[in-house]
Amino acid sequence: MTTTAQPRVPTDTSRVGDPALSPAGRRARRTAGRRRFGAVVVLMGPFFVLLTTVFLIPVGTAVYLSFYSDDQPGLGFGPENTVFVGLRSYAAVLSDPTFLGGLGTVALYCLIYIPLMVVGALVLALLLDSGVVRLRAVAQLGLFLPHAVPGLIAALIWLYLYTPGISPIIDLFARADITIDFLGIHAVIPSIVNIALWSNLGYNMVVFYAALQAVPREVIEASVVDGAGPVRTALQVKTPLVRASIVMVAIFTLIWALQLFTEPMLLSQSSPMISSRFSPSMYIYDAAFTRNNYSLAAAASVVLLVCTITLSYGVTRFTSRADAEEAR
Amino acid sequence: MPGRPDRRSVLAAMAAVPLTGAVGACSGGNGASSAGTGRTTRITFWSALRGSQEVVDAFNRTHKSVQVDFQQIPSGGQGGYAKLSNAARAGNAPDVATIEYPQVPGFAIDGVARDITDLVSDSLRRKLLPQALAQTTFDQRVFSVPLDVEPMVMHYRTDLFDRYGLQVARTWDEFAEQARAVRRKAADRRLALFPTDGMTQFAAYAWQAGAQWFDTSKGAWNVSLADAPSRRVAEYWQRLIDRDDVFVNAVESRQSDAQIGNGLVLTRLSGAWDAGAQMNARPGQKGQWRIAPLPQWDAGSPAVGTHGGSTFAITKDSRRPEAAMEFIEWQVSHPDSLRARLSSGTSSQYPAALDLVSVGRKAFDRSYYGGQDIYGLYEQEAEKIGEGWLWGPRMSATQRVMQDSFARVGGGQGSLTESLRTAQEGTMPDLKALGLSTTQRST
Repeated sequence: MTTTAQPRVPTDTSRVGDPALSPAGRRARRTAGRRRFGAVVVLMGPFFVLLTTVFLIPVGTAVYLSFYSDDQPGLGFGPENTVFVGLRSYAAVLSDPTFLGGLGTVALYCLIYIPLMVVGALVLALLLDSGVVRLRAVAQLGLFLPHAVPGLIAALIWLYLYTPGISPIIDLFARADITIDFLGIHAVIPSIVNIALWSNLGYNMVVFYAALQAVPREVIEASVVDGAGPVRTALQVKTPLVRASIVMVAIFTLIWALQLFTEPMLLSQSSPMISSRFSPSMYIYDAAFTRNNYSLAAAASVVLLVCTITLSYGVTRFTSRADAEEAR
Repeated sequence: MPGRPDRRSVLAAMAAVPLTGAVGACSGGNGASSAGTGRTTRITFWSALRGSQEVVDAFNRTHKSVQVDFQQIPSGGQGGYAKLSNAARAGNAPDVATIEYPQVPGFAIDGVARDITDLVSDSLRRKLLPQALAQTTFDQRVFSVPLDVEPMVMHYRTDLFDRYGLQVARTWDEFAEQARAVRRKAADRRLALFPTDGMTQFAAYAWQAGAQWFDTSKGAWNVSLADAPSRRVAEYWQRLIDRDDVFVNAVESRQSDAQIGNGLVLTRLSGAWDAGAQMNARPGQKGQWRIAPLPQWDAGSPAVGTHGGSTFAITKDSRRPEAAMEFIEWQVSHPDSLRARLSSGTSSQYPAALDLVSVGRKAFDRSYYGGQDIYGLYEQEAEKIGEGWLWGPRMSATQRVMQDSFARVGGGQGSLTESLRTAQEGTMPDLKALGLSTTQRST
């Protein structure tokens, strides 16, 4: 008896006011609303906490730092005061040929890397999807594995393969009487692109492959019935259908590429062609930690952030406009 | 991975040395100055100089009222300077820190090295070579105390000079002729190396030629890295590079080690300290090296620049600056300190305190240099150190930009003169962002 009675107790008490009319009903609705609000807080809370602590506060700090500086007038040997300096740090960053050079380097890097990455990953995914490849699982795993290697380790491995004197690859080339300097002045950006491709190709291929799996089989069957060969099916049926993934991969790759840091930082140990301000991220690191110029580093960070946001927005706008035109 | 270590840091590390077994000799009566206060003051000391632990032990053994806690830190370029700045930002920098000459203005501007003008006693001031103290004095205020001052000299292979019938060059023109002669006589050998990681070497050449990269006389930082004397030096070395009369590579590299070790390079142009570093690194070449004055632009009015050297600063966080100064004064001016350093046989530091030169002369083991009195030579060269040279507020950054550009010259891109301009352009935004008054007059 007691066992059945007990659960009824709370139900009963909660129902006490239930039959009553409007005030109680409002209260019930309010509890439901509160409960829903609670759920929202619990579910969204972690996101906003993280957004605030790891994004908004650092960005806010960078913006603040870029407008203030510990100044001493004249030669700089007097006492320091923190003063508002307006756009001075931005003027310094944008008039610094080494920073602009870094932006140029990254632009060149993006121009080589992003098309190679998107096309390469897409081709691999289409090959896997077409069923041409035997041992699909093994191929997928093999392509994806490099992504599991941390960037730093990857750069170390490639550093070994690129360094004259210890690299077996350069040795092999040398035996064939080909001198190749992977860290030389012309090869250094392609060498970095190669590391990035090796690390990320498999990952992006998996993204494309997953998107291709979602392409309705009827559509493909229809195209086959209509007489399209495998190449035509891949290029004109499947590819347009995974367009959204292509845009997404392109944007992620772009954002990642603009922050180029680990690979050149490590390779700079071995190649004088990679300067300490090779990319904007390295410039920021150098400004903050060798030059102790936090305002300058902050201003450079904000400039890089603005570039990244503008470019990502540009890519989205461009593709959505293209979509709209296509729909028309 | 050897990477591109900071030249100055390495030389600094070489310049100071373990003084194993020498500690017992340090039982002088120098405790007297600090005896009698009764209470013991503890100060902290950071240095990348090897052998500092032994110096500290010797100090602690002979002093009662001041005791030093020493911490070995990485050399400047390897993170030592970053560690010091970060500690200062956090408010827990050590009482005493080691800073090389080029970095002194930067640390002074950042407020890490405190103004110690009033702590430097007149007697210490009188002991120090004026050109050395001038390097650590800005706006009439002293920010650190020089330990050593290193005139640039020419280390040369006397056996190979004899084989190729060369006399020590007195002028740079003679030097250039010899460079060509050496390449003609021995295709795989060169007279010298132009170091692509050598801003400090280049600065010493420019200093000798009368350049003044930085000048504060008008109340603002005037930066002219590409002034006429510097351009002259750049054009001179560019000619040697273009004619393939010198090696062009990093000096802090295995390649350079091999060039020296295999006798491919006949001279090393570097600071006085390098004699000890050489003894330590290549004992097998004993007797093959001698040291001569650097060639001159104008043999009639000889000049020389310095290459390397360290100073001791008291940081803003020190709560015992007087005790810190007592320790610094002992380190830079007490004979036991230098004697201990030299006895290890790996240092040839030229002390900034003039009284110590005779100590060094006596204590230095001359056998490696065939009995040559190198301290006598150093003394004569130190007098020629040009006055008026100043380092800039952000020397590590200037150095990197310049060396990155030198490296490109080594790869066949651009010229040394352009490197100077690049370094100037890469330095100005920094100084402006720091809020310093700057000008760019060229001389």
